[in-house]
Amino acid sequence: MKRIIALLLVLCLAVSLFACTTSTPANTGTTTTTDTTSTTTNSGSQSANAGTTDNSGKTDTTETTVAEKFVVNACIASEPETIDPSTISSVDGSTYTQHQFENLMKYQMTNDNPAGDPNMKSTEIVLGQAAGYTVSDDLTVYTFTLRDDIFWSDGVPVKAQDWVYSWQRLVDPATASDYGYFLDNIVLNAYDIYEENTKDKSELGIKALDDKTLEITLEAPCAYFLEMCAFASLVPLRQDVVEGSDNWTDPANIVVNGAYKLTEWVHDSYLKMEKNEKYYDYDNLGPDEIIWWLSDSETAIYSAYQSGEYQFIESFPSDLTETLQASGDCYINPYVGTYYLYLNCSKVTDWRVRAAMVLSVDRENIVDNVTQQNQSPATGFVASGILDSTGADFAFGVSELGAIYNTLSTMYPDADLSTYAGRCELAQQLYQAAVDDGSWDPNTTVVYNFNTSETHKAIAEACGSDWVTVLGLKISLENQEWATYTNGLGEHTFGVARLGWIADYNDPVTYLELLVTGNSYNYGLFSNEAYDAKINSAKAMLAGAERDALLYEAEELLFGEGGFPVCPIYYYTNPYCAQGLTNVAYTTMGYFFFQYAQPAA
Amino acid sequence: MVAYILKRVAGSIAILLLIMVVTFLLMNAIPGSPFLTEKSTPEQIALAEAKYGLDKPLYVQLWNYIKNYCVGDLGTSLKMQEGTPVKDIIFHQGKFALSIKLGACALVIAVLIGIPLGCIAAYYRGSWIDGLLRVLTTVGVAVPTFVLAALLLVVFSVNLNWFPTLSGSLPDAKSYVLPVISLSFYYTCYIAKLMRTSMLDAIHQDYIRTAKAKGVKTHILVLKHALRNSLIPVITYLGPVLAGIITGSFVVESTFSIPGLGKYFVQCVLSRDYPVIMATTVVLSALVIFMMLIVDITYKLVDPRITLTAKEE
Repeated sequence: MKRIIALLLVLCLAVSLFACTTSTPANTGTTTTTDTTSTTTNSGSQSANAGTTDNSGKTDTTETTVAEKFVVNACIASEPETIDPSTISSVDGSTYTQHQFENLMKYQMTNDNPAGDPNMKSTEIVLGQAAGYTVSDDLTVYTFTLRDDIFWSDGVPVKAQDWVYSWQRLVDPATASDYGYFLDNIVLNAYDIYEENTKDKSELGIKALDDKTLEITLEAPCAYFLEMCAFASLVPLRQDVVEGSDNWTDPANIVVNGAYKLTEWVHDSYLKMEKNEKYYDYDNLGPDEIIWWLSDSETAIYSAYQSGEYQFIESFPSDLTETLQASGDCYINPYVGTYYLYLNCSKVTDWRVRAAMVLSVDRENIVDNVTQQNQSPATGFVASGILDSTGADFAFGVSELGAIYNTLSTMYPDADLSTYAGRCELAQQLYQAAVDDGSWDPNTTVVYNFNTSETHKAIAEACGSDWVTVLGLKISLENQEWATYTNGLGEHTFGVARLGWIADYNDPVTYLELLVTGNSYNYGLFSNEAYDAKINSAKAMLAGAERDALLYEAEELLFGEGGFPVCPIYYYTNPYCAQGLTNVAYTTMGYFFFQYAQPAA
Repeated sequence: MVAYILKRVAGSIAILLLIMVVTFLLMNAIPGSPFLTEKSTPEQIALAEAKYGLDKPLYVQLWNYIKNYCVGDLGTSLKMQEGTPVKDIIFHQGKFALSIKLGACALVIAVLIGIPLGCIAAYYRGSWIDGLLRVLTTVGVAVPTFVLAALLLVVFSVNLNWFPTLSGSLPDAKSYVLPVISLSFYYTCYIAKLMRTSMLDAIHQDYIRTAKAKGVKTHILVLKHALRNSLIPVITYLGPVLAGIITGSFVVESTFSIPGLGKYFVQCVLSRDYPVIMATTVVLSALVIFMMLIVDITYKLVDPRITLTAKEE
């Protein structure tokens, strides 16, 4: 009897352990099979086409049968929260969207090489699904005419109404999109619909005049509107598709109008896209398949790259950057983004203390010794790479010194702000003045919050050390996990807090409007009427010298008397490793495009 | 025995209910919201919370969870796979199955290797074999899993190319090898240490001395008489081990790109995906409770002197 019970128990244990295995649906099995096949297939094609990777005989058996298939294996991020264009907010989500959907305008590859890598091309904005457009005399009404040869992947023609639905869905508060604000004060009534909730989404300034003609009415002329028309959150969507199923982005349900279509999604493993036969430029597309591997482990990603399983990665141990650059694997693309610190104006109330903090940070030391990814020390809040109307880099438009130091160099002509020593000297002078007149208590401890990350921690330590050494400021560094951290940002409980901002479009406003009074990202609670007026005026003007001047003046106000709500640290870069690929395209907003990629010669 | 099992099952349901309540209170006590991002406004957060019923009083939310769980509805993911039913994420996407497969293999390996190693070390106590095994097991317990996993990956996948760098959904035997070794190494060593101590203790008991005096052969002495009694501490340890292996597989799953549940168990807390936190906690708790029940029953089989119910006393 005892033996029987023992036997039963063992059986019970075994069944319990493997019960879930048997309950796995058939599609997982299929997926698994495909997983293997795709990996092997790629290796095979890679060795056949690219001839650059060492597969050590792994692919011998399949090479002859699948050598014709060109598969790109890339890893740019972990599992996306969503790939619904209306609710995406990450660069990887936007990249997937840019491959699956095409907007009125699109990013097209040029012959320039942004990072000196001959296999990586720059992009420019050109007509996408639109065949052309006209603009009214007052520059507020754009009328787009759509191409005749554009179809959704199920064969249904793409119509102007698809943009109307998509844009209305984006600004609809019920969608709760992170980018719901994107059309605020640009497209007619967007602000009232999304922010004020006083108008219905149907009143948005977009309407389909007929199936092929789309009219968009703006609040005021907008210098960067055409660039916005290439943005991932504004791609067309089919109402019947989006509302036709519980999960319309599932490979079984999704219908796209771009070059590639999602055919398989193994969550936390990979997204597989194949060429969309209905795409108008189908014949010229490159890869037969693009597999986006989903991983957040640098070790795993880099190992897969080393073994040839990935051809493109964006994440790898940063201490290998120099070695990989030397071997020709890694290049560093420009990236329009600023890493900066909020200095809470309600906690560090004296602007001279904030200025002293901004001046005494040794940015060169941080980029050379802490982050080590070829970033440039920031000289202003607007990221390098954002251009003014003349095409000059806004970050250096006024002087080589940059916005942080321009106003101070006028106020304190004797100070040498071109050197770190000179900046420290002025910082000490400003700090001491604030202490002397009693507006700053030197015993106050400033709390520096950062979210969990080795890099953020190292930067916080470097800044804290500079402030203690140069100013004698008391600093407390506090690490928080992301959700707690963002909660603290919104409640303005910090003294100093870090953030990075990647540009949404190439215009200084994408940065400067963040610090306007009442803006939800104005976490440091900065408020300056003159600044607000300049930004609001500039937003309603067309690109030109007058607008440029307003924006330059606005940024200088940020770093003048009463200002310094932020402490810019560095401008981002975007390192990547690629092997066996050419004709990969890149925009400085951080998107990589593989639609026209080819095996490297 | 049947009455005992029924009683335990009833108790388990009460424990699960308690776990749900505590988990719910804890996850609501920590600051943050699933909808909080660097680009979200308070209005957006409020709207999103209203959409998923997070604006309702806590007791209503808790009651909804309990009510829905009773009919097998684990809710919908708010963040990690927005809009996807949690049941699909855990079961239909194969995450639970993958973690269980991996965990079960690691457990079997740990038991099959750990127990004999412990016996050998005890049998050859004081010899070089014992010394070697002691060093090995101490190192095994001390080396963090992420170090071992990375080392195995670099040496055996990247350099020697013996195993795939991406284990994925564990499609073949090869893809199991490195993740299972990484996951089981600590437990193998720990079980070996536990077994050695326990075996040494058993060997010095009077009944062993008596058996020895009666002329029982040494290997029979160890395998038949000492082993059975030394297994009790190891069995006690096995219940929580499986849960530990599954929840602790975060690093291994991440390093070998396995889309399992371990990763979700950690990430859902960081992203405040409340329904996923609740579901993973309840599912894993149920697993631990079930394993503990099996362990308790196994005690009785291994050592009949152990009583399970008050009646038996």
